[in-house]
Parts: sequence; structure tokens; C-alpha cells
Amino acid sequence: MKQEDRLKIQAWLDGELAPQESARIADLIDRDLEARELANDLRAVKKALEIGENKAVLDDTREFYWSQVERQIEAEEPISDSVQPELATGTLGNVLRWLIPVGSLAAISALMLNFGAINNMPDPGDSIKGGGVSGPITTPPTEPSSGFSENPGTSMEEESPATTPEVGVFSFEGTQNGGNFASPEDPNSLPESIENPER
Amino acid sequence: MPKLDIPNAEDAELVRAAQNGQMPPYEELVHRHRDKIYARAFSMLRNEEEALDISQEAWVKGWQRLKQFQHNSSFTTWMTRICINLCLDFLRKRQRQQTDSLDQMEEETGGVERRMEVEDYNPTEKMERSELRKEIDAAMEKLSYEHRTVLVLHEFERMEYKEIAKSMQCSIGTVMSRLFYARRRLAKILISLKKERQS
Repeated sequence: MKQEDRLKIQAWLDGELAPQESARIADLIDRDLEARELANDLRAVKKALEIGENKAVLDDTREFYWSQVERQIEAEEPISDSVQPELATGTLGNVLRWLIPVGSLAAISALMLNFGAINNMPDPGDSIKGGGVSGPITTPPTEPSSGFSENPGTSMEEESPATTPEVGVFSFEGTQNGGNFASPEDPNSLPESIENPER
Repeated sequence: MPKLDIPNAEDAELVRAAQNGQMPPYEELVHRHRDKIYARAFSMLRNEEEALDISQEAWVKGWQRLKQFQHNSSFTTWMTRICINLCLDFLRKRQRQQTDSLDQMEEETGGVERRMEVEDYNPTEKMERSELRKEIDAAMEKLSYEHRTVLVLHEFERMEYKEIAKSMQCSIGTVMSRLFYARRRLAKILISLKKERQS
């Protein structure tokens, strides 16, 4: 007997054959002894299994079992809550997943550099020398020197102390103490995306 | 909206309440069906600790995906499917770590089925139901995971060939072959157990 027919005898017993094929296999079982014996053998196993399983039973109490499930649910839930569906899937999601923490880091780095630039700012006198701005510290800001437009590599920050040095100092202190920006080194003030980039 | 009488509520009512984010109804569902889910995990994995872990993971997944449950089947059927999928994932991972089993090799060549002779007597006749359950349980334990799984899904979960093929990520032909071989192997084991009992 072909292996294909053996599998079809089984499928016939399981009710998985199409009507026409089912009739052919029924006929085969009728006239072929080996096919009939195989069908009886498979039927006996099938019948034995119909009695059901020996059910395994949990030893843990209801409270203990649930406490473990609940703990896992709570442990995983904040992650699933924080992931927005549109960010979680697709190419855009993958890009944004990395872009958000990297962008946050870049913004913080820029702020730190900015603060550093203000802290390391040369004396107004030096600035005047370097920038080629002539005149005393009290030069009014309303009259920028020609050096501004002619020297694109010179930043506004470099020039500003020359015009209003108090403003730079004031801004820096303001952001340190009472401004909207907290110190980037304070872990409590870090955005969630920095604390946990996976979020 | 009347308060839900959790201990006396039907599964569907508990599920709807849990779908709205209420945890206590879900706890009740876990309590009602944890034995069944654990038993299914154990029947597939044959290891108490692994079955416990997988059954709890199934409940966690169930909670996370509860809003996807459309009430098209019973809640226990839905949960059992989650459990079965987790068991299959687990077994696949474990299988990848092992070398190719003899069973798999034989299955590919199809040699074993051809060599197996047809048995002409019923190995389970005149046995008590509880005795037979234990015997089947012992025989199931001796099967490879692929053969045990296909038998569990077909005989106990009443899944059709195509459903099994989808769950096990294989072709219907492979399901038929595995099922055939599993039944033949199971019959052999039951016969040897019967002989041991009689001697």
C-alpha cells in the first residue's frame, strides 16, 4: 500500500477527506485487508484518546498564582502604555524610536554647549579685540559694527557681551536658578527618553 | 451601571469588564481557568516548572491582548490558543538548541511508517478509564514534542489539519505525516506497556 493511501485512510477516519476521495478510501478499506487492519489500528488509538487526558493540577494557591501574574502585568504595563501604536510599528516607527532619544540628547548637548560658551566667554575687552569692535563696553547694541555681517563665522554669542554683557550673565543665572531649564546633569530632570531610551 | 457580581458573573461579563481595564474581573477569570491553561501547557511541555511559567505568561499576554478578543469563541478557547502558541514558541526555541532528533530524520525519509507493521489487536481493551488515562499519559510522555503536540491539538483541542498546520508553521502534509506516525508510535508504546503489565 502506498504511503499516500495510508495517510488518506487516517484522514478518512478524521473526517478530513473530500466526499469523492472519501468514497474511494472507503472502498479501498472494504476490499484491501492491509488497509482494513490499518484503519482498525488507527481507530483503536483514536478511541483510546477519546477518553481524555490525565489533567495536571496546579499546586499553587489562588492568591500566590495571581500575585505572580499581577506582578508580571504591572511590570510590563508601563512599557506598553508609553509606546504609541503609530510609533511601535513600521519604518517610521523605527526611525522615530531612535530619533526621539537622539534628538533629545542633541538638544541637551546643544544647551550644555551654549551654557559652556557663555561661561567661557571672554572678557568684554577681549571680545572687542577679537571681534574687531572698537569702542567702550557701553557701545549701544543698536549700532552693530560691520564685523557682524562681514564675518559669518563669528557667532552672536561672541558679539553679544560686547554690546550687553549683563544680559548674557543674567540669562545664564536665570536658567540655572529660576528659569525653565533645569541642569542637564540632574537625573531627576532628564526626560524619560534619556533615562530609558527604549521608551 | 450596576456593579458586577464578580463571583457569580459569567465569563463574558467578566471579560467585558476586564476589557474596560478592571483587574478584579480578570483575576476571577484567572482563578476559574488557571487549571485548564496549566494542564494544557503541561500536556505539551511535560515539565511542571516550564508549564507554570508558560501558563502565567499566557495570562499576562491575555491581559495585554484582551481588547482584541471579539467574543467569537469562548474565553477559555481563546486563552488556550494563546497558551498553545506560547508552548509552540518555547518548544521551537528549545528544539533549535538541540541536534536533529531521530524522529525528525525518520519523518523526513518516511522510512519508519513503512517499516511499522499493522497491529491486529487493541492495546487498551478491558482497561478502567482512570487506568487508561494514566497509560495514555505515560505513552504521550515518550513521544517527541512534534508528535505529542500534533496529537494534543488534534485529539484534545479538536483542531483541524489546517489549523494545526498554521499553529505549528508547517504544511498540512507534514501534519498528516506527524499525526500518522504519532498514532503508530503511541499504539506501539501502549502495546509494550500492556505487555509489561501482563508479565
